[in-house]
Amino acid sequence: MSQREEILARVSTISALPTSATQMLALANNPDAQIEDVQRTVEYDPGLVTNLLRLANSAYFGTGGAINSVREAVVRLGFKRVFQIAMTSAVAPIAQKEIRGYDLPRNGLLRHSAATALAVEYLPKRLSMRVPDATYTAGLLHDLGKIVLGTYLEINSAPIVIKAYRESISFEIAEQMVLGTDHAEVGAALLEYWKLPQVVIDSVRWHHDPNKYPHEDKTVVDLVHLGEHVARICGTSSSTDGMNYSVCVESLDRLRVVPDVLELVASDVLGSLEEICSIFN
Amino acid sequence: MQLTVGISEMKVSTDPKDTLITYSLGSCIGVALFDPGAGVGGLIHCMLPLSRLDPDKAKKNPQMFTDTGVPALIQTLLDRGGTRKRMIAKVAGAASPLNDNGMFKIGERNYVVLRKVLWKNEILIAAEDVGGTVARTMSLHISNGKTTIRSGGKESEL
Repeated sequence: MSQREEILARVSTISALPTSATQMLALANNPDAQIEDVQRTVEYDPGLVTNLLRLANSAYFGTGGAINSVREAVVRLGFKRVFQIAMTSAVAPIAQKEIRGYDLPRNGLLRHSAATALAVEYLPKRLSMRVPDATYTAGLLHDLGKIVLGTYLEINSAPIVIKAYRESISFEIAEQMVLGTDHAEVGAALLEYWKLPQVVIDSVRWHHDPNKYPHEDKTVVDLVHLGEHVARICGTSSSTDGMNYSVCVESLDRLRVVPDVLELVASDVLGSLEEICSIFN
Repeated sequence: MQLTVGISEMKVSTDPKDTLITYSLGSCIGVALFDPGAGVGGLIHCMLPLSRLDPDKAKKNPQMFTDTGVPALIQTLLDRGGTRKRMIAKVAGAASPLNDNGMFKIGERNYVVLRKVLWKNEILIAAEDVGGTVARTMSLHISNGKTTIRSGGKESEL
C-alpha cells in the first residue's frame, strides 16, 4: 500500500458526523421532507438546538426579529439556512481543536473555516450573483483534510514547509510531493465517507486547483478557491502554510472579480466573523 | 499580562508587565510603536490599505485600514505622553500569495501606505520583517520595547 493509500484509508477511522447532521443530509435529498421532519431532527440534538437558536439570532443568519424556538427558526430561516447551521454546529467541535501538524492553535481552523464560509457567500453578493446552495457548506468544510493529516496522522510538516518555501511552490503541491496526497484530497475523501453532496466533495477536492474541477459549471469551486484567499486576508492563515498558495487566475476571470471586490468582501467577513466564532467559544 | 491585538484592532499600554501580541499577520500589516522616554507602546493590526474603500466602516473602526489606523495609534501614544521624535516603529506582515497577479497585492499596498503615513509623521522604520508568503506573529514588550516575530515555528527579535 502506498503512503497515499494508507493516509486515505485512515479517513474511515475518524469520528462520524453527529446523527443530526447525517439526518439533515438525508432530508436535503428528500423532496417530501416536511418542516416537522427538520424540527424533529434538530430537537433530537440538544447541542444543535442551542447553536441553532444562537446563530438564528445572530446578525449574519438572523432575519431581524427574535427567534425563540426551533420551529420558528425552521419556518423563518428556511431549510437551507438551518442545514448550514447544522453543518457548522457539527464541525465546530472538530475544527476547534488544536492541529499540531499545521501549528494551528485552538479555534484556528474554526476561524479559517468560518471566514471562508462567510467569504463564499459575501463574494457572490458583491458580484451581484446568486449564491449557489452548496457554497457555504463547501467553504466551511474545505480544509477538514488538515485535521486528518495534522491531528490523526500527526504528520511531520517540516519537510513540506522546507520544500514549499525554499522552492516557492504552492503548499498543497509540496504536500503531494512529500506525502503522495494533499489536505484537499484527504478532506474530499472524508466528506465522501460522510456522504456529503458530490458538488461539495468535488469543490473541496479541487479548491486549490479549480481548473481540474470535473464539471462545466465551476462557480462553487471558484468561490471556495477565492473565498479561502479572502479568509487569509482576514488573518486566518496558519503559521505553517501562511499565504504560500497560488491564485487561480482563471477563477478571477470566470467570476469577473475586480480588486476592490476582494477587499470589500474581506471587510464584510471581518464584520461577521467574531460573532459567529464567539457562539462556539 | 499578555494582551492580544485582534485583526483591525490596536492596544496601547504603559504597564511594563504587559506584552502586546498579534497573531496571523498575512497580508495585514502590524506596527509596533514604542516611546522609551515615556515608556508607552502600542501595537496595531491593520487589514486593508485605504479607508476610501468604505468610509462608513473606517469611521466605525479606523484600525481596519492602514491610512486611518496608524495615525490613530500615533495619536494615542501622543495622548499617553509620547513624542514623535522618540517613537521607534517596527513593522511586520505585508505578505502575498505566490503568484500574485495584482489582484491580491493587498500586502504590498498596506506597506506602501504605511511608509507614507510614517513619513508624514517623521517617524522612521527602525526594523521590519515584511513580504514573502509567510504568516507572522508579532509581540511588543512594554518593559523595554523589545519586538519579536514568530514565523514557521521560529522566533526572532526584530
